Amino acid sequence: MSFAEPAALPVANSAAPRLHVLKRYSSGFKASLPAYLLLLPSLIFLALFTYGAMGRVLIDALYQRTTPKAPVRFVGLDNISAVLADPAFTGAVVNNLIYAVGTAIPSIGLALLFALALARTNVVTSALRAALFLPVLIPMVAASALFLFIFLPNVGLLDYYIGRLLPVLPNWLGDPDIALSAIMVITIWKNAGYYMLFFLAGLQAVPEDVMEAAHLDGAGPFQRLRYIILPELKPTFLFVIVIATLNAVTQVDHVFVMTKGGPANSTNLVLFYIYQQAVEHYDIGKASAATLLTLAALMGLTALSFRTLANREGGP
Amino acid sequence: MLFSRRLMLGLAMASTLAFPAMAEGPTEIDLFFPVPVDGKLARDMGTMIKEFNETHPAIKATAVYTGSYDDTLIKTRAAIKAGKPPAAVIMSANFLLDMQIENELTNLDALIKSDGSTKEQFLGQFFPALQGNAVINRSVYGVPFHNSTPLLYINADKAKEAGLDPNKPPQTWAELTDWAKKLTKRDGDKVTQWGIAIPCAYDYCGWMMETLTMSNGGRYYNEEFGGEVYYDTPSMLGALTWWNDLVYKHKVHAPGATPGPAVSTSFISGNAAMMMLSTGSLTYVRDNAKFNYKVAFIPRNVRNAVPIGGASLIVPAGLEAEKQKAAWTLIKWMTSPEKSGWWSRATGYFAPNMAAYKTPEMVDFLNKNPDAKTAVEQLDVAKPWFATYKTVPVRKNLEDEVMLVLNGKKQPKEALVAAQKAADETLKPYNETSLKLP
Repeated sequence: MSFAEPAALPVANSAAPRLHVLKRYSSGFKASLPAYLLLLPSLIFLALFTYGAMGRVLIDALYQRTTPKAPVRFVGLDNISAVLADPAFTGAVVNNLIYAVGTAIPSIGLALLFALALARTNVVTSALRAALFLPVLIPMVAASALFLFIFLPNVGLLDYYIGRLLPVLPNWLGDPDIALSAIMVITIWKNAGYYMLFFLAGLQAVPEDVMEAAHLDGAGPFQRLRYIILPELKPTFLFVIVIATLNAVTQVDHVFVMTKGGPANSTNLVLFYIYQQAVEHYDIGKASAATLLTLAALMGLTALSFRTLANREGGP
Repeated sequence: MLFSRRLMLGLAMASTLAFPAMAEGPTEIDLFFPVPVDGKLARDMGTMIKEFNETHPAIKATAVYTGSYDDTLIKTRAAIKAGKPPAAVIMSANFLLDMQIENELTNLDALIKSDGSTKEQFLGQFFPALQGNAVINRSVYGVPFHNSTPLLYINADKAKEAGLDPNKPPQTWAELTDWAKKLTKRDGDKVTQWGIAIPCAYDYCGWMMETLTMSNGGRYYNEEFGGEVYYDTPSMLGALTWWNDLVYKHKVHAPGATPGPAVSTSFISGNAAMMMLSTGSLTYVRDNAKFNYKVAFIPRNVRNAVPIGGASLIVPAGLEAEKQKAAWTLIKWMTSPEKSGWWSRATGYFAPNMAAYKTPEMVDFLNKNPDAKTAVEQLDVAKPWFATYKTVPVRKNLEDEVMLVLNGKKQPKEALVAAQKAADETLKPYNETSLKLP
């Protein structure tokens, strides 16, 4: 995986001849005008559907609507404090942190392992790569429906095979201690193959001559991994970690299909909590407040990862 | 030549776009329908709507599958908010009050009157037990379509094996406990066959709690006012304690929260010898059980009583008059004795229209399948289904706590105290409006 070069450059160059005359009289802004014009459509959509919606959420978070008989009233930051005081929300935040760390580390680890094992292209590795990538192609809802049967207590596939070994059969999705882990297994199973793709691409960018030189100098496989491959994969790691974190916050299809956040909120994640507030409790104010808090956290996180990326020396 | 033809076509299309009212054609309406139980309900619904369209050329109805009961409420609300409400919805009967409070329902009184019928005549077609969930403040808001009661399903072969007589099913909780003990098989500490399975997943769990509470002599909510529930009461504590005992004292019910499909699969595969489940699953059991089974009343502790389940047809608020009328035609057709009987035979739900049981097909069917009678007989002791302001969250307040009990994380008493507190909090906005003095 490599990060794309700034897209504006080649575009500006290709448009340059037509604006040759203009350019002579004007300064920087006019020169980059075509670039701005080309960005305009995206900007319009971004303003309408992202910033506009965010503004709406900001306003909605300040109002409260209870029953149709009681008018909508301005409550300031009450919704935010109500969300922060709601044990279901704090529980969802904790669940989401566990879920993010618990799915990101194993799926990235597995992905790296798969990529290292299948780096060379031949018939066998191609087939294995395809096999490992297959879960990515299955829609999350379908995968969840599939796992619903695997996790079925007493009669499901899992209990059918593991049941003979365990003294007590766990109720995989019905026990608040286990349900979140069960859901995490699906995410890991589904994402490992996806992240493997990035690592495979990253491995191809490792310079062949450096590897050969290391080989001649007598570096063993572990030393080559530790001192050449892993440092070269650093940008890939950063990218995959960002994607995995975002996935942890934005994927809730399986929660919806399998547990609806239960039992007793043990699999409730932040996005599902927002959904519940908005459409089940019909409480737009609280849902907007929770959205704002989540947005703030995600923007902070993204800013941090961009900074880390910007501080990186040299290009990929 | 080609150009002019295209031009004409374009003009024709443009005019249809510009004057949609002038375009001749049937009134197009949507019907939202859920599938809350096992079985091939979606296919049966397709068959039903196809027949309606063939017999009513002026209307073109489209059946839209909308998931579970809870999902159907959400999708209907989203459609109303978006200004495109479906013309009719098969809505869980206990959501009607909540929707009426939110001004989302069409009052059906005027439509009934336009047929030259009175409310009493119209409602008189349906079993009296169903009216509590269809009538709000003396106005009709829903038409009962398919209804259910919970039933006790018994694997008759396994009962015989254990020396029990399946023709004399357990009638009290004590007898049921005894049966469940005899029907549980162990291999050391490991249970290879459970005595009984009772579903507990969001939606089903609340209904089963209501079932047990009612047969323990209690009530569950204030039938007259949408702002009160009675979670922290002796009758409900007794019910939850008994359920808890089945799991942790007698060890005849698997621990943990189990969704409805898992319970029916467990019963069908012989892993559970008895189950409490909706009559809506009866056809599924009949089609799939490879053993003899019996269905019986829910056993009592204090009295025989069960809540109504199932769904009514509603017309959302905010529809044009033309669509409203088309929806009303569809609703009357679907709840007629013939159709409601056909749907009952296809699914296992009972037919809310009493005349359905007088049709020759139904008489014939009941002779062949006497198990379908049990739910109808149990109707004599049935009561309305839990309905409050914000029904779903208030129900969840209880269900979350019951799930903790079934997982051994809380004792019944502390769970119910917590559930009551949470529900009071959820109901607060509604109660505040009723506390307001003029």
